Amino acid sequence: MAGSGKSDGARMGIKMSQELVVVAISVILFVVFSATLNNFLTQGNIIAILKNVSILGTLAVGMGFIVVGRGIDLTMVAVMVVGVAFSIWISTWGIDFTLAVVCGALLAAAIGLFTGIMVAVAEIPPIFATLAIASSVYGSGRIVFASDVLYAPSNIAWLKFVGSGTILGIPMSVVIFGAVAALMGFFLRKTRFGRLVYATGDNPNAARTTGLPTRPIIVTQYVLSALIAFTAGIIMLGLVTGIDTRLYNSSLIYDVLLVVVLGGIGLSGGQGGVRNVIVGTILVGILTNGMTILNFSYTSQNLIKSVILLGALAIDAIINPRDEQTSQSGDI
Amino acid sequence: MKLFKNCLFAGLTALALLSVANVTTAQETDQVGRAPYLESLKGKKVIFIPISQGMDLNQSWVVVWQRHAARYGFSLDVRDPNGDTNAGIRAMQGAIAEKPDLIIVQNPDVQTYARLLKQAQAAGIKVLQVNMQSATQTDSYVGNDWIEMGRLEMGELAKHCTGPNAVSHKVVWLAGVQTGAANIYMRTGIDEVLKANPELQLVSDQPADYMSEKARQITETVLQQHPDLCGIMGIWDNAEVGAGAAVAAAGKQDQVTIVTNGAGSATGCESIKNGLLDVIFNFNSPIQAEIAAQQISELLQHPDRQAGSEKTIFFGPITRVDKTNATGRNCWKLDELK
Repeated sequence: MAGSGKSDGARMGIKMSQELVVVAISVILFVVFSATLNNFLTQGNIIAILKNVSILGTLAVGMGFIVVGRGIDLTMVAVMVVGVAFSIWISTWGIDFTLAVVCGALLAAAIGLFTGIMVAVAEIPPIFATLAIASSVYGSGRIVFASDVLYAPSNIAWLKFVGSGTILGIPMSVVIFGAVAALMGFFLRKTRFGRLVYATGDNPNAARTTGLPTRPIIVTQYVLSALIAFTAGIIMLGLVTGIDTRLYNSSLIYDVLLVVVLGGIGLSGGQGGVRNVIVGTILVGILTNGMTILNFSYTSQNLIKSVILLGALAIDAIINPRDEQTSQSGDI
Repeated sequence: MKLFKNCLFAGLTALALLSVANVTTAQETDQVGRAPYLESLKGKKVIFIPISQGMDLNQSWVVVWQRHAARYGFSLDVRDPNGDTNAGIRAMQGAIAEKPDLIIVQNPDVQTYARLLKQAQAAGIKVLQVNMQSATQTDSYVGNDWIEMGRLEMGELAKHCTGPNAVSHKVVWLAGVQTGAANIYMRTGIDEVLKANPELQLVSDQPADYMSEKARQITETVLQQHPDLCGIMGIWDNAEVGAGAAVAAAGKQDQVTIVTNGAGSATGCESIKNGLLDVIFNFNSPIQAEIAAQQISELLQHPDRQAGSEKTIFFGPITRVDKTNATGRNCWKLDELK
C-alpha cells in the first residue's frame, strides 16, 4: 500500500493541473461572456446557470463515482427516466405518490444491483454490460408505459418545492445537487469504503490479490449510482412537472461523461473526485448558457461540446499517460 | 261465405307475394358501390412507420386506423423506430421489400426518407405521408398546414405583444428538430408575420428538440437576458410545458404568453388549466386520423392506378384552445378513443 500511496500522491499533483486547466478555461469564458453579453453577470443568470446544470451535475457525481472505480455507467439516463416514469405509472393505480416514488427508487436500486452483479461477478466489461442493460431497461419501460411523456400528479407539495422552492435564495434543485456532491465527497474521502473504491479503481487485480472485497465494492457502486440517477430524475420531475423518457435517446449520457472527463477524472480510474465533477459541471454550465444567449443552434452546441470533450480526452492522455501498469491492467 | 273465403285467400296471396317481392328487393338493393369497396380493402396490407409510437398523436392515429382496418378487413402493421432515424431507415427498407399495398410514413425530417419514398413508389407501393412531409411528394399527404400553423402562432403573439399594453415586443421561437418539415414550414409562416409586424423582436430562436427540459433551460436563460419578455411560441405542447415551468418559476405567468400546438390530448388541456400554457393550436389528431383513414381507403380502392401518378393533399382542421374551451373533444383521452 505504501507504493500505491506514493503513486496516489504523485497523481494528486497531476490531477490539480488538469483541474486548473478547466478552472482557467471557465474563468476566461466567464470573463469574456460577462464583458460581451448583456445580463450575463447577474445574480439571476448565475443562479440560472446552476439550476440548469443541477441535473447534469447530479448525474455526473454518480458517473464520477463509478469512473473513479474504473467503471462506466451508461445506464444512468435509462435508470433515471424509467425509474421516475415507473413511479408516475404506479401512482395512476391509486398508490400514494410519495410511496410510488419510494417504489421507483427501489426499482432503480434493483437495476443497479443487477448491473453491479453483471460487472463484478459475471465480469462483463462495464461499457458493454451497461450499454446492454441501459437498452433493456429503456426498452422494457417503453413497452410498459406506452407514452414517452408522463406527468406527475399535480398538487404534490414536496415535488413543487423541489421544482420551485428555495433555501436561502438557492433553488432546491441546486441544493440537492450540492447535497449529493457533498455526501459523495465525504463518502469517497473520509470513509474506508471510499478509499477501497480508489484502490479498486487504481489497480483492480492488485486490490483483489491483497484481499480487498472488490466485488461487493463494485456492486455497491452501481447501486448508489442508480439511486443518484433516480434523484436526478426527481429533480427533473420537480422542475418540469413531467418526465420525458425520450431523453434516453438524447446526448445526455455523453454530456455526463463530458463533465466527468473534462473535470479531470481519468478514465483509467483510481483518481479524481467530486471536486473535478463540480469544476467540469460549471464549465459546461457556463458554456451552454453562453451558447444559448448567443443563439447557437443545437447542432453547433453539440459540435462545440464534442470538440471540448475530445480536447479534454487529449489533455487526459497527455497528463495521465498510459504506463506499463495501466496497459497491463486494462482500461474500461 | 265462399266469396269471403276467396277474398281472404286472394288477400293473403297478395300479401305473400308482396312480402316475397320485398325480400327480393332487399336482397337485390345493395348500397351502390359498397360491395366493390369492401372487396378492394379486404386482405390488403398496410405498413405504418412512425417517428415514435410514444407520442400522443401517433397513438391516436393508430387507434383510429386499427378500428378502420378491423372493420374493412385489411391489416395494419406498425413498425416503430422509436425516434431512431437509422431504425426508421431500416424499417422503410424492410417495408419496401415486403411490397405492401400501402406504406404510411411520418417523416422525421425532409431528407432522410426522400430517396426511399421514391424507391417505394418505383416498386409500385403507394405512400401516404402523415403530418410531417418529406422533400419527396408521394400519393398523398394528410396533416397540418404548417405554414398556416406558423402564421397562427406568431399571429397570436403579434396580437399580445404589439398592443398598447404590451410589456415589450420581445418574442421567442422554441423550435423542435430544425430539419423537420414542421419547423421549416412554420418558420415561413412566422417570417410572414414578423415581416408584417416589424416592431416584433425575435430575441431567441433555438431548437428545444421536442424536449421539455431543454425548453425549460432555454426559457430560463432567455428570461434572464430579457426580463420583459412578452411571448413564447413552440411546436409541441408536451415540450412547451418546460417553458411554462420556467416562466412560472420566474413568477411571470401574467406577463409571458405561451403559445404552442398539439394533438389535442387531455394532457395539453391540463397544462392550460395549470397555467403552464396559454394557447394551444389543436390539430386534433383523431380527426386527422379519420381523414387519413378515408385516404387509406381511397388509395386501396385503386390498385390499378400507378403509385405516385396522382398526388393529393389534405390539411386537417385547427382549433384555437385556451382556458375557455379546454374541455370535451378538444381534450381527448386515448381510452375514450378505443
